[in-house]
Amino acid sequence: MALFLQRLVDGLAEGSIYALLALGLVIIYRGTGHLNFAQGEMALFSTYTVYQFGEWGVPIGIAVLLGMCVGFVLGAATEVVLVRPISKKSPFAVFIVTIGMFQLLNWLDGAIWGGQQLPSTAMGSKQVKFPSLFPSNPDDYFTVFGAAITWRSFCILALVLVIGAVLYLLFNYTKLGLAMRAVASNSESAKLVGIRTSTVLMFSWGIAAAIGALGGVVFAGLTTNVNQSLMFQVFIYASAAATLGGFDSPGGAVVGGLSIGVIQNLAAGYADEWVGQEMKVGVAFLVILAVLLLRPSGLFGTSKVERV
Amino acid sequence: MSARIIIKSGGRASWAIRAAAAAAVVALLLWIPTRGSDSLIDTCTTAAMLMAAAMSLNLLLGYTGQISLGHSAFFGIGVYTTAIAVTRWGWSPFVTLPVAFAVAFVVGLLVSLPALRIKGVYLALVTLALGLVFPAFIKWPKIEWLTNGSRGLDQTGFKFSKDNPTYELFGWNPWGNLRGQNVKPFYFWVGVLMVVFVYLVCRGVVKSRVGRSLVAIRDNSTAAAVMGVNLAVTKGIVFGLSAAMCALPGSLSAIRTGTVTPDSALLTVAGSITFLVIMVVGGSGSLWGPVMGAIVYQFIIERTGDWSDPDKIPGAVRPLFSWSDVAPGGGIFAMALILLMFFAPFGIVGLWHKLVAKVVTVVPKPAGTTSLVREETAPAES
Amino acid sequence: MTLLRTQGLTAGYGPLTVLEGIDIEVNEGEIVVMLGANGAGKTTTMRAISGVMPRQGIIEYEGRAIQKASPDAIVRGGIAQVPQGRGTFPELSVADNMRAGAYVRRDSAASVQADLEKWFEVFPRLAERHAQRAGSLSGGEQQMLAIARALMSRPKLLLCDEPSMGLAPLITQELFHVIERLNRDEGLSVLLVEQNANLAMHMASRVYLLETGRIVASGSAAELGADDTIRKAYLGF
Ligand SMILES: Nc1ncnc2c1ncn2[C@@H]1O[C@H](COP(=O)(O)OP(=O)(O)OP(=O)(O)O)[C@@H](O)[C@H]1O
Ligand SMILES: [Mg+2]
Repeated sequence: MALFLQRLVDGLAEGSIYALLALGLVIIYRGTGHLNFAQGEMALFSTYTVYQFGEWGVPIGIAVLLGMCVGFVLGAATEVVLVRPISKKSPFAVFIVTIGMFQLLNWLDGAIWGGQQLPSTAMGSKQVKFPSLFPSNPDDYFTVFGAAITWRSFCILALVLVIGAVLYLLFNYTKLGLAMRAVASNSESAKLVGIRTSTVLMFSWGIAAAIGALGGVVFAGLTTNVNQSLMFQVFIYASAAATLGGFDSPGGAVVGGLSIGVIQNLAAGYADEWVGQEMKVGVAFLVILAVLLLRPSGLFGTSKVERV
Repeated sequence: MSARIIIKSGGRASWAIRAAAAAAVVALLLWIPTRGSDSLIDTCTTAAMLMAAAMSLNLLLGYTGQISLGHSAFFGIGVYTTAIAVTRWGWSPFVTLPVAFAVAFVVGLLVSLPALRIKGVYLALVTLALGLVFPAFIKWPKIEWLTNGSRGLDQTGFKFSKDNPTYELFGWNPWGNLRGQNVKPFYFWVGVLMVVFVYLVCRGVVKSRVGRSLVAIRDNSTAAAVMGVNLAVTKGIVFGLSAAMCALPGSLSAIRTGTVTPDSALLTVAGSITFLVIMVVGGSGSLWGPVMGAIVYQFIIERTGDWSDPDKIPGAVRPLFSWSDVAPGGGIFAMALILLMFFAPFGIVGLWHKLVAKVVTVVPKPAGTTSLVREETAPAES
Repeated sequence: MTLLRTQGLTAGYGPLTVLEGIDIEVNEGEIVVMLGANGAGKTTTMRAISGVMPRQGIIEYEGRAIQKASPDAIVRGGIAQVPQGRGTFPELSVADNMRAGAYVRRDSAASVQADLEKWFEVFPRLAERHAQRAGSLSGGEQQMLAIARALMSRPKLLLCDEPSMGLAPLITQELFHVIERLNRDEGLSVLLVEQNANLAMHMASRVYLLETGRIVASGSAAELGADDTIRKAYLGF
């Protein structure tokens, strides 16, 4: 029981990171119908900048805020400069452009902060020590029902719940949130009531990338390093979370992210020899396939999903 | 334009141009293995393998509008099918090719079907996950007895021995020899054969009834449904074929290098992106696109491979890249990918068609005559 | 006084030109009705005025040229459109739909809320369903919602694109009464597109007849109704 509780909390903590990235994916998908394949790499780039600010002596808390700003600008600029003009051509072109961003950012990370670029080498690369945002000494834990809960897991979980609450308030109780929901729902009508849809989309991408940046920082803190392949798997977990929750449901993204984290941790914990660290990604893969087979719109999606 | 060149399709001039082009290609193919340097032959062999992989991806994208980020996994299935069959069961390497083809076909079909039933980005997502799972799967402890985990497998290549026959032609052998002294031309020709095979399969699919319905799917799903095409299954089969063809260069890579590890670049998602880059740079939706793309890609990657050392960068572009100690290949192609979408969505081949169209008018044959002429051009921009 | 005037307004979709030079006028306090067969270009005219599609020619509103203005500037200037075929935000609640209608207003949340309640009184059915998702309303209720949403921006000119589409005759009449009342009591000018010529002409100050992107006739309802050829060819009564 204690062990179960411990794994549950650790799973929730990891899952909250996936939830952050999944939230970003969902915000963008709702606004424009695009899946941003560069989401993970945008987060990674911002995470590297947080590391860089830290190197320059900026306190970690402020560095994180600055990193989120970098993420916001990166996301917003991507939407304005690349996605908006290209989406008039075809969805395929947008897909290629996000892949191009994926590749470009990953290469830039390596080029600036050291490492080796993607196509000519394996994914391993030079790692950079990353500070943890939260207490992470071995004895930073408290006990509930005999289970040792680390403060780190607890804080991560709390952070994500706070972010979730902030986003909930933003979506439901602000004018920007109303505009974002209106654009997602019916873009022509949104224009007809005077919403600048282009500005809203720019903000959506910016917010999505800023949340992703936070996810990247927390994850880097959890694994205590940043490297070029840090976000590949996290991106897949986040996509699995969004698929599970429903690609157009922010609440679903959070639930999906937490579930994926828990499923993975329980699977890795109780079936260690089957799952282990290596095949955690296999769990995400199976979840995606299962959701597509059983309930393509996800748990909370409003099923705009079209069958072929 | 006043000075336009007018060529009648199927006319004498048209045939002359075709013959000249064919002769040039054959001459080039003979020149490379006989007169080219060893490194040139190697480059071309690698390019040929990438060509086959990108062609398989192109079949999927160009003719069904579907995208895969998991072709590295099918490439890897080729690599490991061959490696395992050769090292564990002592098969002769080239016999493993059809097996790899079949295995990749089945895996491709099974993995793609759930995603293909649903519109949108799901196939890209599922295949990306597959691309990430594959190396992890190879390293999975439960499967180590077969794959040898992250240590990889050795001795997976073709064994040259002094007893192998030589096939000389008046003392001249453009195909190298099988006795192990001069093997690079041999692999070059295997690569070329593979490209020709994949090309013919793609062409076969494209020109067949299935192919035409595929184009219908790409352009208009409803129309295809009315035509009675079972979309999910047809797409699934094409996906399987595409996966199977991507396994072939994988097998060849295991045979050629003789060792395999799950972390080598083409087996990871980086490989999938490489194939995608090649296809887009060359020109998606045209059969020749991947050929051009692979050649350009491989030459640029090799040319810029040592640019991590600023002194090796030619003067003109030095300021652009000298600030970093990382080779710029990945960045160059990332930017190419983005810029091409803006300025030349159909890649090099698309640009070429545009250029030719500026000075040459091809007069089509009267309707009703059967066409002996290649019909494919870059699809209209939409 | 002229509120809206277009001159040589052309617009189209890609290579296809739909409007081939439309000249219309709406004076303050008028209800102007635009009639025309399916595909004549009525919706296109509305969308061109609202600025949600590329257009050429002159559009003047309160004496200022607005053919280059962005949709949000046009709404802020006081033109609101009720799009054809409902065009609500189906995933949003009824109240949120109406709040979205007030998006361009700069006044306090309290006065927006006051307006919300005012329109809820006019459309009591919406008040009952204020927390329901708009997508779950009936067609008629959605049409009312679309009108209420447009009114939330406090427009001077309402562009109404076939509000009666798919509605029962009784509901249509109810809707038209509301529009007439708004026109009379609040001085709202209306440009109304309608298929139901008979009904619409009763309340029209003036009428335009649109055919394949051109205005082919215009005048007061009585004038057009008196012209036999026009009546037979276009009005069907
Ligand atoms: N999005 C579009 N893309 C291309 N053509 C369009 C589009 N919308 C309308 N059209 C064409 O423009 C023409 C005019 O359409 P419009 O919607 O303005 O007609 P309408 O007068 O409102 O008809 P209705 O009474 O059926 O609503 C039609 O021929 C139509 O086919
Ligand atoms: Mg209409």
